[in-house]
Amino acid sequence: MPPSTVSYHMESWQHVQVHICRILGIQLIFLVGFGFCMSSSFVSCEVGRCTSNVGSTNQSLNIPPYFEKYITKSYFDKYDSLLDSDFLDFISHELFPGSCELLLDNLNLVLRLSVQQRSLIGDGSHRHLSSSFRFNIQSELIAELPIHFCEAIIIEKLPYGIFADPFELQHLLQRGVFMDAAVFGDTNLELPSVHSNRSLVEVHMDVDLNTFSRHKDGLEINIDLPLHIRYPPLEESGYSSIELGAPDLFMRCSIEAKSHNQSCLLMLKDNGVALGNGPVVWRVPSGIKAHARAVSIVTFISAILSTLSIVLTSVYYSSTKLCKNLKQS
Amino acid sequence: MDVRSLLLFSALLRVLLIIYGEWQDAHMEVRYTDVDYLVFSDAASLMASGKSPYQRSTYRYSPLLAFLLVPNSIIHPSWGKFLFSASDLLVGLFIHTILELRKVPENLCTCALMVWLFNPFTFSIGTRGNCEPIVCAMILWIIICLMNGKVLQAAFWYGLVVHFRIYPIIYSIPIILVLDPHCFQYGLKPALSSWVGQGNSTQSIPSTAVPDSCGIWIAWTSMFTRARIMFGLISGAVFFAFTGLFFYLYRWEFLHEALLYHLTRTDPRHNFSIYFYHIYLHYEHEFSVVERLISFLPQFLIQLVLIICFAQDLPFCFFAQTVAFVAFNKVITAQYFVWFFCLLPLILPWSNMKLKWTGLSCILLWMGAQTHWLMWGYLLEFKGKNVFLELWIASILFLAANTFVLIKIIRYHTFSPLFQRLEFSSSDNDLGEGKKSN
Repeated sequence: MPPSTVSYHMESWQHVQVHICRILGIQLIFLVGFGFCMSSSFVSCEVGRCTSNVGSTNQSLNIPPYFEKYITKSYFDKYDSLLDSDFLDFISHELFPGSCELLLDNLNLVLRLSVQQRSLIGDGSHRHLSSSFRFNIQSELIAELPIHFCEAIIIEKLPYGIFADPFELQHLLQRGVFMDAAVFGDTNLELPSVHSNRSLVEVHMDVDLNTFSRHKDGLEINIDLPLHIRYPPLEESGYSSIELGAPDLFMRCSIEAKSHNQSCLLMLKDNGVALGNGPVVWRVPSGIKAHARAVSIVTFISAILSTLSIVLTSVYYSSTKLCKNLKQS
Repeated sequence: MDVRSLLLFSALLRVLLIIYGEWQDAHMEVRYTDVDYLVFSDAASLMASGKSPYQRSTYRYSPLLAFLLVPNSIIHPSWGKFLFSASDLLVGLFIHTILELRKVPENLCTCALMVWLFNPFTFSIGTRGNCEPIVCAMILWIIICLMNGKVLQAAFWYGLVVHFRIYPIIYSIPIILVLDPHCFQYGLKPALSSWVGQGNSTQSIPSTAVPDSCGIWIAWTSMFTRARIMFGLISGAVFFAFTGLFFYLYRWEFLHEALLYHLTRTDPRHNFSIYFYHIYLHYEHEFSVVERLISFLPQFLIQLVLIICFAQDLPFCFFAQTVAFVAFNKVITAQYFVWFFCLLPLILPWSNMKLKWTGLSCILLWMGAQTHWLMWGYLLEFKGKNVFLELWIASILFLAANTFVLIKIIRYHTFSPLFQRLEFSSSDNDLGEGKKSN
C-alpha cells in the first residue's frame, strides 16, 4: 500500500475521533442547557414497587391491613391468587378489627351510597372503566364526628383477561388524577388469558366530608380507570364476553383520639339502587379454533416458498457474478 | 451540503424532536416517548438506588443499558434520549467513514448518509428513547475496525454487542470467513477494494468460502488462522466475561430476562411476523420439538446460504442477513427495521437499481404492505373487530414484500468483496500488499 494511502487512513481515523468528540460535545451542551431550563418533576412513585413486592412477606410485622397504605396488599401476602370467596373472607375477618365501632356506626348513619353509573368507554383492547359513586350525607351529624381526614378506597377485582397497567397508573398519579393507586396480583402485561391470573386495582380518592356536607346533592366521586384486555381463549364465535363485577368501596377516615390519631375503615354498601345500564360486559375478539389447521399449513408453505425464492436468487446471482469476475480477471 | 452541515442539521432536528417529545408527554394523552424508554428509566433508577434493574417488569436488556441511563435520575430524564440520538448521529458518521475508506465519490457518500439521517424511522427511534442506535453504532464500528485491520478491537466490540443484543450473533460466521488468509493477515492493515463505478465489479477475484481442491484436511487447517482464532477467542471471552459478571450480580433473573427470554420468545400477540396467529391458535398446547424445528428451518437455511454466497462482501452480507433474519423471525416489531436501515447506505453505492421505477416500486411495496398490516392491526386492537385472519394474511403479504425487495436488491447488487486479495511473492516473509496496523 503506498505511503499516501497509509497517511490517508491515519487522517481518516483522526477525523473520525474529532467528529465523535464534536458530536458528543454538542449533545452534552444542549443537554446541560436543557436541564437547567426545564424543571425536573421526575417523581418516583410507589406504584411499581408495590406490585413488584406482590407475594413477599410483610416486613412491617403485625400491622393491621387497614393501617397499611394499601388495604389489599396483605391479601396477596397471604393468598397466591385472587378468588372471590377468599377475598370476602379477607374483608370480613381481617379488615375490620372492631376498634372503631362507635365511629363506624355513626358514619353508617351519615353516609349512604348509591352507585350511579358504570360503563366501558372506548373500543378495542384498551378502554376506560368509568364509574360514578354518589354519597348522600347528613350534614348535621357529620360536624359532630371527630374526623380529621377521609379517603375513598375503590377496589376493582378484575376478571380473567382484563388487566391494569401499573406504570400507566403511575403516569396518572403524576398528573394528579388519583391520590393513590396500585395493582396487585398478576401484573404480567404480556401473557394471554390462558396463562395468567386475576389482578386487583386499589384506587384512593381524596374526600373532604366537611366541604361536601354543604352540598345538597351530596358527595360524588368519578373514576376513570384505564384497562386493557389479554388475548382471550379461542372461541368458535370469534368473540369472548368478559363481565366486570361491582367494585368494593371503603371509606377510611383518620379520627382525632385523646392520645393519637387513628384510622377507621368503613365498607360502603349500595342501597340496592340498580345500575341504570346493567352489568358491564367487555366483548373481545378471539381466535377461532377452526382456523388452526389451515393457518399452520399456509404459514409454513409461505415460509418455505419465500425461503426457496431467496435461496435460489442468492445462489444464481452469486455464481453469475463470480463467473463474470473470473472472466474479467 | 457537506457532511459537517448535514450532521449539524440532523443534530438540531433531533434536539428539537426531543424537546417536542417532552412537551407532548406533559400535555397530551398520547405520549411521544416510547414505552420501552420508561422501562429503561425505571430500571436505571432502581440500579442507581442499588437494586436490581430486573425488579422492573418487562426490562429485558443487559444491565449495561440501565447503567448508561443512570444519569436519567441524576441529570435529567431525557439524558437517555440524547445519548441514543448521539449514537444515531455516530452511525451517520460511521457510514460516511466506511464509504470514504472504500473511495466512494463524495456525492454518493452524502446521498447514502442522507438515507440514514433523514429516514423518519431513524430520527424518531432515537428521539423517542429506543436504544437500537447504540447497537447500530457498535456494528458499524466493528466493520471500521476490521477495515483497518484492528482485529482485537473488532472482537471486543463484537463480544460486547452480542451481550447487549443477541441478534448480531448471525454476523459471527461472515466475520470469520472474511478474515480469509488470502485477504487478511493478522497485524497488517488489509487492502480494501474500492468503488469503481456502479455496474462494474472490482478487479480482484473474490475469495470464496468454499475450500479449494487441495484436500479437505489442508482446507480445514488453513481455516484456523491467527486472525480468526484471536477474533473468536477475544469476542467469546468478552461475551462470557460480561455475562458472568452480571450473573454474579443479578443471578438467574438476569440470565432469564436478558438472554433466555429472547432465545425462547414466542409472542401470541399480533405483530408483523407470519407466525403470530399460528402461535396464538396453538398457545394452549406446548409446541413440540418438531414444530419448533420446522419454524426454525427457513431462518437457518437462508442465513447459511446468504453467508456462503456473500460473506466476502461483508456489508452486503450483513444487510441481507439482517433483512432475512427480521422477516423470518417469530416476533417482528418496527424497531427491528433499524437493524438493516443502518446497513442500507453501505450497499447503495454498489447497487444498479434505478430509483425510477424499480427502487420506487420496492419502497412503495414495502411501505404499502406495512401500512396494509397496520390498518388491520388498528381494526383489531383499537376497534375490537375480529380481523385475525385478515391481519395474518397481511403479515404474509408483508413477508412477500420483504422477499421481493430482498430479491431485487440481490439482483441489482454489484458483488464487491471488502478486502482485496493479497499478493504473495515466493518468499514467505515478503507480503507485498499488507501494512501493519497498530
